[in-house]
Amino acid sequence: MSVAQWARDLAMGVRFALTGGREGWTRALLTAVGVGLGVALLLLTTAIPSALDARHEREADRTDITWMDSPAPPKGEDTLLVADLDTEYRGQEIRGRGMEPEGPGAPVPPGLDAVPAVGEMAVSPALRELLESDSGKLLRDRLPDRITGTIAEEGLVGSREFAFVRGAEGLAAHLGDYRVTRIDHFGASDSASEGLDPVLLLLVIVVFVVLLMPVAVFIATAVRFGGERRDRRLAALRLVGADGRMTRRIAAGEALAGSVLGLLFGTAFFLVGRQLAGQAVVYDVSVFPSYLDPSPLLALLVAVAVPTAAVLVTLFALRGVVIEPLGVVRTARPARRRLWWRLLLPLAGLAMLYPMIGQGREGGDFNQYLVVGGVVLLLIGVTALLPWIVERFVARLGAGPVAWQLAVRRIQVNSGTAARMVNGVAVAVAGAVALQMLFAGVDDDYTRDTGRDVSRAQMQVTLSDGMPASATAGFASTAGVEKVYAFSEGSVGDRRTDPESSEQVTVGDCAALREVVRLDSCADGDVFAVLDPSYESDIKALATPGRVLYFDPSYGDDEGARVAWTVPEGVKNARERVGLTANTTTGFLFTPAALDGEALAGLRTEVYLQLDRSVPDHQEQVRNTAAAVDPLADVMVWSATEQSEKFTAIRTGLFVGAACVLALIGASLLVTQLEQLRERRKLLSSLVAFGTRRRTLGLSVLWQTAVPIAVGLLLSAVVGLTLGTVLLKMTGTPVRVDWPSLLSMTGVGAAVVLVVTLLSLPPLLKLVRPEGLRTE
Amino acid sequence: MTTAPPPGSLLTAENLRKAYGPTLALDGADFSIHPGEVVAVMGPSGSGKSTLLHCLAGIVPPDSGTIMYDGQELSAMNDARRSALRRSEFGFVFQFGQLVPELTCVENVALPLRLNGRPRKEAERAALGWMERLEVDDLAKKRPGEVSGGQGQRVAVARSLVTDPRVLFADEPTGALDSLNGERVMELFTDAARSANAAVVLVTHEARVAAYSDREIVVRDGKSRDMERVV
Repeated sequence: MSVAQWARDLAMGVRFALTGGREGWTRALLTAVGVGLGVALLLLTTAIPSALDARHEREADRTDITWMDSPAPPKGEDTLLVADLDTEYRGQEIRGRGMEPEGPGAPVPPGLDAVPAVGEMAVSPALRELLESDSGKLLRDRLPDRITGTIAEEGLVGSREFAFVRGAEGLAAHLGDYRVTRIDHFGASDSASEGLDPVLLLLVIVVFVVLLMPVAVFIATAVRFGGERRDRRLAALRLVGADGRMTRRIAAGEALAGSVLGLLFGTAFFLVGRQLAGQAVVYDVSVFPSYLDPSPLLALLVAVAVPTAAVLVTLFALRGVVIEPLGVVRTARPARRRLWWRLLLPLAGLAMLYPMIGQGREGGDFNQYLVVGGVVLLLIGVTALLPWIVERFVARLGAGPVAWQLAVRRIQVNSGTAARMVNGVAVAVAGAVALQMLFAGVDDDYTRDTGRDVSRAQMQVTLSDGMPASATAGFASTAGVEKVYAFSEGSVGDRRTDPESSEQVTVGDCAALREVVRLDSCADGDVFAVLDPSYESDIKALATPGRVLYFDPSYGDDEGARVAWTVPEGVKNARERVGLTANTTTGFLFTPAALDGEALAGLRTEVYLQLDRSVPDHQEQVRNTAAAVDPLADVMVWSATEQSEKFTAIRTGLFVGAACVLALIGASLLVTQLEQLRERRKLLSSLVAFGTRRRTLGLSVLWQTAVPIAVGLLLSAVVGLTLGTVLLKMTGTPVRVDWPSLLSMTGVGAAVVLVVTLLSLPPLLKLVRPEGLRTE
Repeated sequence: MTTAPPPGSLLTAENLRKAYGPTLALDGADFSIHPGEVVAVMGPSGSGKSTLLHCLAGIVPPDSGTIMYDGQELSAMNDARRSALRRSEFGFVFQFGQLVPELTCVENVALPLRLNGRPRKEAERAALGWMERLEVDDLAKKRPGEVSGGQGQRVAVARSLVTDPRVLFADEPTGALDSLNGERVMELFTDAARSANAAVVLVTHEARVAAYSDREIVVRDGKSRDMERVV
C-alpha cells in the first residue's frame, strides 16, 4: 500500500466531509460545532494555569501592605504612606487604598501615572461604571472624591475588579495602625505562593479530571455524527470498486476533516470566548483576555490529540459494521457486549487508589500520577460499563404505549448510541457526586467556627487608634441599626514600661458591659473587675484600692500612652459570660464617667451592631457611617463560621467548571439529538403522514433519552459514591454519604436531559412536517 | 369556476394550487375517486403527482382549491383533524416502505391500530391477519432490516390496510422493486383493497403498475387530465 494511495483515500474522505450540498454541510457543521465546543473548553483549561499565574503576578506586583513583621523604611523622599481602605458593596469586594506621597520620588502604584491628590481618586473601569450608575449611589456617598483617573490593566487583577486609589493626608499619625504602612516600592519581594496541602491538591486534581472527562467523551460523540449516512455512502463506494480498507481510510479522512474543522471552530470559539471572558464575572472572579493564554505545549497536544482521537473513534465505530457493495450490513443482533474488560477499568482504578487509602494529611503528598490514573480509570469505567448496563437493562423492558415502544425498541436495537449520548452526563455526575462527598467530608477541617454570637450582633466596626468612643454616636441613628454596643479596649500594667502584670481594659456603658460580663448592678461612674476569672490571673493584686496602674504601657520599642490611674475604692465584681466574640472579657471594666479623657486616648474603639435585616442595604448604611466617622475604620460582617480561602476557591472552581461542563453536555446532547432526528427525518415524516400524533413522537424522544439517562445516573451514583468513599478514606476522613448533594447532582443531570428534550421539540416538530416526504 | 363533483365521489379535489417556493407543483389540478375504485395518477418526474397525493391525503394543505372527503371539506380542517382522519380512514404505502427499523414487522403493521388506541395484543392479532393475507406472516418477528425489499413492501401494504381504511394512498409502491416482486405486490395490494371496498390513489410513472387501476389521471406541469383507458 503506497503512501500516495493512503493520501488519496484520506483526501477523498475529506472531500466527502466538506461537499455533498446542504446535507453534507449541515453534517460537517454539526461535527465542527460539537468538536469545536469541546476544543474551546480544552483550550480554556490549558489556559487556566497561565490565567492563575497572571492574576498572582499582578497581585504580587501591586502588593503594598504585607501584614508581615518586616520593618517599614524610614521616611524619605521616595516613600509613600499607604492605608488599606478595602470595603465591600452589596457583597462585592472593593479594593481600596489611600495614598500619601512623602516626597517627589514616592513610588506610583501599577496602573496609574501619579498618586491622586487629596479629594481626588482613581478608579477601576468597573467601579467607575458602578459609581456612575443608580445602583451605586450609596457607594458614591462613601467614596465622594472627585474621580480624576482610571486604574489601567497593570493595576488590576481582573477586568471587572472593583478598585480605587484615593489621595490621603495625615496618615503618618496612624502608622502604628495595622491598616497603614510606609513603603518605598510596590511589589512583594517574595511572591512565591505557598504550596497546597495534600488534601487540597487532591481536590484540584480530581476537579480537573472530572471536568475534562466529559469533554473528551463529548468530542468522541461529536465525531460520530452522521455515521449512518456515511456508511451508506461508503457502501456506494464499495459498489464502484473500493475495498474494505479503502472505505475505512475514506471514513478516517472524513473524521479527520470534521475534527480539523472542529479545531478551527474551537479556536474561534475560544478567541471569542476569551474576549467575552473579559466582560464576565464568575463567582467574583474576572480575568483579562490577555490572561487566557493557552500553554503552547498543551495547545499542541490538543491539536494533535483531537484529530487522532477522532480517527481512532471512527475506526473503532466501524468495527461492528460490514460495508458491502449493496449496502451496510449490521448484524441484526450485534454480538453481546462483554463485561469482563469493562469491569477491569474501574477495578484497575480502585487498585491504583488503594495504596493511598488512609494516608491522610500526615502521610505526605499523594502520588499525583496514581490519583489521576485511578480517578480517570474509574470514570472511564463508567463510560465502558454504561453500554453494557444499558443493553442489559433495556433488553428487559416490555412494550407499553406507542411512544414508549418506539423509544424502547430503538434503544434495544442501538443501545450503544443511547449510552454514548448520556456518557458525558454520567461521568460528570459520578465525578461531581464523589467531589461533593469529599467536600462535605473535609468541610469541617476547612471551616472554622468563629465563636461569634450572630444573634446578638451582626457587624463589627473597629475604629483606628485614637478615635474616641463618642465618635460612634452616629451609628445609633443609622438606618437598619437596632442596637449599638461601643467599647474602648486596651490594657493596664503594673509598670509604665514592660509591665510584669497586665490586664485587659474595657470601657462601655452599662448596657454594653452587660453584653460581655455579668453585673449585679451598674451605674455610670462604676468600675468593675472580673475578680474570679477562669484562668490564673493577678487581677486581685492589681485591683487593690490605691494601687497605681498605667494605661497603655510601653513594650520595648513600642511606645504607649502610659497614663497613670489609681485603683479607686469600691471596685465591683463582674462575672464572666459568653461575650459577643469567641473571647471572654476579663480584667477591668469601666463605665464612661469612671475615666478621664487622657486615659481613654490610648484605647482602641470597637463597635458591635445589632441590625434590623429587613431594612434594605443596612450593611451599606453602616459602612457609609463608618467611613464618615473614620475613613480607616475596619468594618466586618459577622458570620458564625468561616472557610479557608483556598478551600473556598477550589469549591468555587468546581462550581464554575461544573457549570461550563454541564452547559457543554447540554449542548452536546442537543446536537446529538438533532443529528439523530435529522437522520430519521423521512421515517418520522412518514409516521406523521399516517397520523401519528406529534405528542407521541415527542414522548418517544423523551423516553429515548430518559431511559438511558436513568440507568446512567444510577450507575454514576454508584461509581460516585465508591469514588467518594475511596477519596475520603485516602484523606483519613470518616465516610459519610452526603445525600442532599447526591440527589441534587443526579437531579441536575436529569434536568439537563429534560431541558435538552424540550429544546429539541421545536426542531423535531419542524423536521417531521409532512413536507419531509418530498424528494424532489 | 367550480363544477359539482361527480355523484357518489368519496374524495374530490377542484382547482388545486400548491407551490414550493418559486416552484409551482400544482396549478389547477382536479381529481375525484369513488369507493372501491383504483385510480392511477401518472406523469413524469417532477410533474406534481406526489404533491397531488399529499394534498388529497391531507398531508400538506393546498395553497388554494377545495378538497372534499365524504362530504367534509378536508382543506378547511385543522392539522389535528386531518391527522385523525389519516389515522382512521386513510392508509399509506410509500416507495421505500418507511417501516420503523427498530420495530418487528408485526409491530410495524400494528402501529396504526395502536396509534388509534387499540390494545397491543389485539392490534398485533389483527396485524397478523393482514400479514397472512399478504403472505408475509412468517416475517412477523423479524425486523425490516432482515427482510427483502419485496417482503418489506408487502409488510408496508399490510400496514396500510390494517385500519380498514376507506382510501389507500400509494406513492410509487413498487418503485424500489424488480418487476416480478412489483407485480406480486400490486396483485396483493389491489386485491386486498378491492375486497375491502377501499378506494386507491396510486401514484406511479410505470404503465404496467397503472394497468392495475380502473382509471388513469395524468399530471403534467401541475395540471391533471383524465385519460381514456385503451384496452
